[in-house]
Amino acid sequence: MEKDQAKPPAMDPISAHFPSNNGSFRLFRDSQNSDGGWGFIAGDESRVESTCWVVKALTAIAGAKRGDEDTVRRGLDFLTKAQLPDGSWPAVPETKTGCWVTSLACWVLAGLQDEKYAKAIDTGLRWVCDDWPQDSSWWRRTVRKLSSAGKAGKQNDAARGWGWTPATSSWVEPTAFALLALEWHPRASSVTAFQREAERRRKLGEALLYNRMCPGGGWNCGSPEDYGVPGEPMVIPTTWALLSLRHNPERRENKESLDWLENNFSKIQGAASYASARICLEVYGREREIQTAMAYDPEEPASNLLVAAWMSLAGSGPREWVTAGRKS
Amino acid sequence: MDEFGGKWPAGMGNCGQEVVSTMRNRALIPWFQRPASKVLIRRAANYEQELETLIYESLVEFALPVKDKVVLLKPNFVGPDPGGIRNTHPAVIGATRASFLRLGASHVWIGDGPALDRDTEAILESIRLRDFVGPLARTFVDLNLDEVERVPLATKASRLKELYFPKTVLGADLVVSMPKLKTHHWAGVTLSLKNMFGTVPGSCYGWPKNVLHWAGIDNAILDINAAVRPDFAIVDGIMGMEGNGPIQGTPKACGALIFGDDPVAVDATCCRLMGLLPEKVKYLAAAGTMLGHIRVDRIQQVGESVAALRTRFSVIREFDAIRDAA
Repeated sequence: MEKDQAKPPAMDPISAHFPSNNGSFRLFRDSQNSDGGWGFIAGDESRVESTCWVVKALTAIAGAKRGDEDTVRRGLDFLTKAQLPDGSWPAVPETKTGCWVTSLACWVLAGLQDEKYAKAIDTGLRWVCDDWPQDSSWWRRTVRKLSSAGKAGKQNDAARGWGWTPATSSWVEPTAFALLALEWHPRASSVTAFQREAERRRKLGEALLYNRMCPGGGWNCGSPEDYGVPGEPMVIPTTWALLSLRHNPERRENKESLDWLENNFSKIQGAASYASARICLEVYGREREIQTAMAYDPEEPASNLLVAAWMSLAGSGPREWVTAGRKS
Repeated sequence: MDEFGGKWPAGMGNCGQEVVSTMRNRALIPWFQRPASKVLIRRAANYEQELETLIYESLVEFALPVKDKVVLLKPNFVGPDPGGIRNTHPAVIGATRASFLRLGASHVWIGDGPALDRDTEAILESIRLRDFVGPLARTFVDLNLDEVERVPLATKASRLKELYFPKTVLGADLVVSMPKLKTHHWAGVTLSLKNMFGTVPGSCYGWPKNVLHWAGIDNAILDINAAVRPDFAIVDGIMGMEGNGPIQGTPKACGALIFGDDPVAVDATCCRLMGLLPEKVKYLAAAGTMLGHIRVDRIQQVGESVAALRTRFSVIREFDAIRDAA
């Protein structure tokens, strides 16, 4: 895949607590590939996930689009072309099988509130709703009960979310992004069978997230207990789970998990965790509690375009971009 | 001219320059046609002692062809670990990196793709890796986010027909698996072969890489190792983990570093050090038929003897059968 430039863009030190959005947007512009997408690292081959996050950052922040219309348009072209005939999106463009990034792509496109993408979102979400995890099938539940895997942890197998890849197990992050994407409602005057199915999946997915919460609050990838030992929460799964469950702010689980996040905020050591935690706490109105800021050095290896996008979103103002789109 | 002679390895920051992609597709040789493997055990009491000389001298014994080659060190990073009990210790990684550079390697990458936590930066910060290896920007590669290449799986031990692997792994001249000496609640032990799960990119398969579990962990270990073919193994057994590993287990000191150019033989020897039976570890028994040696009579064991450093590691009840009662 050809790159726009043979040399990488000189990354501005996106210094101090938040990158200046001007600096981030110049980074995004300069690192866009000729196919319109972005890799995780500037100059790498385009991927759906990294492109989704850069487009989200470029379109979600007030005033960001000014001067970046062409960059955004090319990014959206990459995303729409990457969609597979069955409506899903693959992690790597050459792959013919979709995965969890389908929810992410739908969520990003839905946030644009542009009718032009309604069909792409609709087919994407239908694929999402057709994708059932296999760990909670009748056969698998029976096998689990009889095998040592059943002793690994207590979980409600009736709750069903989404996996990272089709027909595997439910995990916290893919379930959270599916729930965020399924907030989108097509412009239809009557409730369709698909909408009823989407609502059913949303309820099952929410139940799964609450069931997989770690004792005392917070989420890890999806193992609240490990052979009798309580699972340790992690920041990123906790933030996306909380954001997808933000309509239930008074639930005990939400409050416990927010407390866990807030109590651990000052111990965060990575920019990705920092950015996502900051977004989450602010959505829940806890921004005044936040005293810590994090230096972010884009020259470091974990600093990539996904992290730069999250940091841009964390440094932005209002959080309307979390919502996938209009209510019908 | 930079330290790569203007030709950067694939992966982080290759920046559109020529990608080295040698593909690690060496033929599999049946065990009975392979020469005996050499495994070296060295005593190392703690991480504060001088490790570089010990590791350098150990590597010299293997006469590895690393002059002007690109080396990838693949440690085991499972999560934030301020106590230094879960991950390969950065002192071992730093000393190994310095040793390979001293042996003439053109560049030594450190790379891993943690399975559960996508915030790799947080893991690196928690173990203070940069204090041991210097700035990470042109040293560490997050294999979860690297550029990838699709590789058909020749062994087909699992149901997987192909997997994506990071170009940094496929392009390295020498891949060194650097696990910590740990028991594992699903596989029995996690050593240099299981450690290669971390070469499968999370950006393709998620956190965790659940598709590998569905394919069968034991068989996926075989497929991955047959595809990547790690060239060398250095096991951090100074402080290991027993019981409910690889995360929730209990620290267990063993005081050893284990080296070898046959990761299967290294893992088998590690099992014996841990008081476990390698023939009873399902994936290791299978690996002994296609990837390397597990039989004592096919392993030339040098340095400290197994008996001198044997430390019995506990395993969860489901793996009682792999304990060596002798």
